[in-house]
Amino acid sequence: MSDPLLDPEDAAFVAGGVTISLASRDDACRASVGRALGCRVAPDRSRVTLFLARAPNVPLLADLARSGAVSACFSQPSTHRTIQLKGADAAIGPIDARDLTLMRVQIDAKVAELVPLGYDEALVRNVFSGEPDDIVAVTFTPTSAFMQTPGPRAGKPLHP
Amino acid sequence: MIKRDTSSLDALRPCFEGFVPSMVATCAPDGTPNVTYVSQVHYVDAAHVALTYQFFSKTRENVLANPHASILVVDPDTGAQHRLQAQYLRTETSGPLFESMKAKLAGIASHTGMTGVFRLLGSDVYRVDAVEAVPGPELQRPPARRNFLAAVRAACERLSGCDTLDRLLDEALTCVERAFDIRHSMILMLDAGRRSLYIVATRGYATSGIGSEIPLGRGVIGVAARECTPIRIPHATAEYGYGRALRESAARSGLAGLLDTEIAFPGLADPGSQLAVPIVVCRRMIGVLYVESGEERRFTYDDEDALTAVASQIGAAIALLQVIESQEEHPTVAATRPAPSGAPLVVRHFAVNDCVFLGDEYLIKGVAGAIFWKLARDCVSYGRTEFTNRELRLDASIRLPDVSDNLEARLVLLQRRLAERAAGVTIEKTGRGRFRLAVSRPLQLQEVASG
Repeated sequence: MSDPLLDPEDAAFVAGGVTISLASRDDACRASVGRALGCRVAPDRSRVTLFLARAPNVPLLADLARSGAVSACFSQPSTHRTIQLKGADAAIGPIDARDLTLMRVQIDAKVAELVPLGYDEALVRNVFSGEPDDIVAVTFTPTSAFMQTPGPRAGKPLHP
Repeated sequence: MIKRDTSSLDALRPCFEGFVPSMVATCAPDGTPNVTYVSQVHYVDAAHVALTYQFFSKTRENVLANPHASILVVDPDTGAQHRLQAQYLRTETSGPLFESMKAKLAGIASHTGMTGVFRLLGSDVYRVDAVEAVPGPELQRPPARRNFLAAVRAACERLSGCDTLDRLLDEALTCVERAFDIRHSMILMLDAGRRSLYIVATRGYATSGIGSEIPLGRGVIGVAARECTPIRIPHATAEYGYGRALRESAARSGLAGLLDTEIAFPGLADPGSQLAVPIVVCRRMIGVLYVESGEERRFTYDDEDALTAVASQIGAAIALLQVIESQEEHPTVAATRPAPSGAPLVVRHFAVNDCVFLGDEYLIKGVAGAIFWKLARDCVSYGRTEFTNRELRLDASIRLPDVSDNLEARLVLLQRRLAERAAGVTIEKTGRGRFRLAVSRPLQLQEVASG
């Protein structure tokens, strides 16, 4: 197997409490968008797992389950540093208690990141919320990774 | 999934203020999805939004091949989220939509430390086919500061009672202050010949700034005028502000003296929010209503709508008063006035630009300067002090740029500058379409020829 796309620093970034948006698409290539609440990277960095609430993401989860096509965008608001990972084998599964703890820690990290930027804590917690029994895991193997920080390098491969 | 009628985009406008970044998902023809954050999802109308095109991105490449997009927006007050299913239609690279998004983006860039990085290349217009309310908790919306419809009605009622342009301009700014609780405001009129706007009324500043000029296309006011569209910037940005140079020229003129003919722009040094609304009559832009605040995000889409309605009322009233003032009443019996006495007041006129000085102090230039020079000459040569708007309109020496030029606004400008100078010469309205040059000191005229 080839080296993972993510280096240790990338892995720490995507699982460090940054904001995460993701997309899939239906059979007619119509995109669906949603928001994840947290992320875990496998120890060998070959696979990435996103935690998201089911209720707000029904169309997205249906598309992920059917097509497996996924794109996830990880962004740190204070620095605008953004990377995007893409994969084709997304699978939906349950989360465990460890994941739930990780997700809560990452939501707290988002609060710590966003409140100094002028966002109200109640607003941040409202946007990044989910009932524990409604959270699912979406796991995929990143097959491409792109720099997406606004600027001239946006859209270029993360590690050319 | 809850599908809503797309007309409900109106009700989602807080989501389009650009405070919480939105997400956009698209898909390449090979089935690879893409997702990105966008700085601004701009409300165009009840069925359309526009996204900022800043870099040639995957999103753009995708929608050019497959126009479908899924957009997630957040209400910054309640945290409520909506997903829009939209189709890319076209990209605009100039014009009102482009300019208003460019200005708003400049504010967002400055707010987020991205000045010089965020740069608008185009406005990507999308048709919204479906709006889905994303299930989830919502915070309680903060109580409304005011009912905008009631405020617009109150303002329109007050404006309809004004029978002179002078009164209308002051009343308009009183309405802005009382009905909308906006403390800093001004009205500028277009000088088509000079491709600039001049201030005729202000409220809430240390100096009135009457007569100060803004070139068409410069800053938030100049762009709103040139594009004939409201420009609203919810964050402080130097890019659309009126920098130190424009504001400090008055201070300079006190020292450097004679030939400095700039009147300082009176506006706030670092406004947190700016909104400029064109005053339009029969599809012609005749001026701008400008408001600003030290507070960021002070003006919303609702303020923009409300002030656009008020500005259109101001425009209609100006047009009507212009017609009324061009049909003068029979003269009233002139009051006997004491003859001018005391030290003479030197009036200097520079023919090159119709610039007028009273003593050593700059008064006015351009059309208003030419008007004053004609009045002063008639007063000194023939002892005339009573005039009509109509004769000014017909006087070739004044060189009004065209017949539709707003002479009455020039007279208000001149009247206000004379009152501020308090040099012993004023303009008093004596009836509809009539006024008097009231002179308490003898005038001594000096013509300074061109070249």
